[in-house]
Amino acid sequence: MVFILGVNFPERNLLKKSLETFFGIGANSSGRLMSRFNIHPTCRVGELANKQVLDLTAVLSDMKIENDLRREVLNDIKRMKETGTYRGRRHALGLPVRGQRTRTQIKTPVKLNRMERRL
Amino acid sequence: MFPTRALFGRSVWKGPNIVPLPLPRTFPPPPNTPPIRTTKRAATILPNFVGLRFAVHNGKTYVEIQVTEEMVGRKLGEYVATRKRFTYKQSKNK
Repeated sequence: MVFILGVNFPERNLLKKSLETFFGIGANSSGRLMSRFNIHPTCRVGELANKQVLDLTAVLSDMKIENDLRREVLNDIKRMKETGTYRGRRHALGLPVRGQRTRTQIKTPVKLNRMERRL
Repeated sequence: MFPTRALFGRSVWKGPNIVPLPLPRTFPPPPNTPPIRTTKRAATILPNFVGLRFAVHNGKTYVEIQVTEEMVGRKLGEYVATRKRFTYKQSKNK
C-alpha cells in the first residue's frame, strides 16, 4: 500500500491508472506528471521510490483537482445561471447546453444537468 | 492537445465581434434615456457597455437587459431567450 495525496493505492496497480482516479487528472496530465519525474509509463505503484511518491504528492497538492475543481465548475454554472445566460438556463432546465437537438436522445443531460449537478 | 479550445467558437485573428451600436455620448447616460434598441444579438458585450440598458430583439419583441460587469465578453443574445416554453392551452371548440 502506498499513500499518494492521502489515498491508499495497492502496490500492484499501474501508477498511471492510479493517478487518473483523481478528479481532474486524465490520461494527458497523468502522463505529463510521470514523465516529469522520469517514471516509465508502465510503472506499478509499488515500484516507486519514496522520494518520487513525495514529489508526486507535492505537485498534486498544488494542482487544482478533486473538490477544488468540482467547486469551481459548480460556481461557473451558478454564475451563468445568475447572470441569466442561455447556457445557465439550459443547465437549470436539464437540457443540452451546446446546441444539440432535443427531439430524441437527451438522456445524459436530463440525468446530469441541474443547478447542483453531480460531478 | 487543444490549449485554446475555449476559443474554438471564433478565430482569434478576427477579434471580438464589434458592431457599431448607437452608444450614448455621455456616460453615464442621463436618467430616463431610452434603452438602445438593437437586433444585433451577436454583438460582443464590450467593457464600455457596463451599466447601459439594451433592448435586444428576440425575434418578436425587444427585451430589455441591463449590462453588468459579468456579462463582458459574452454576446447580447445570450441574455434574451428566443424560445417560449411549451404550455398546453385548452381549446374550447374542437
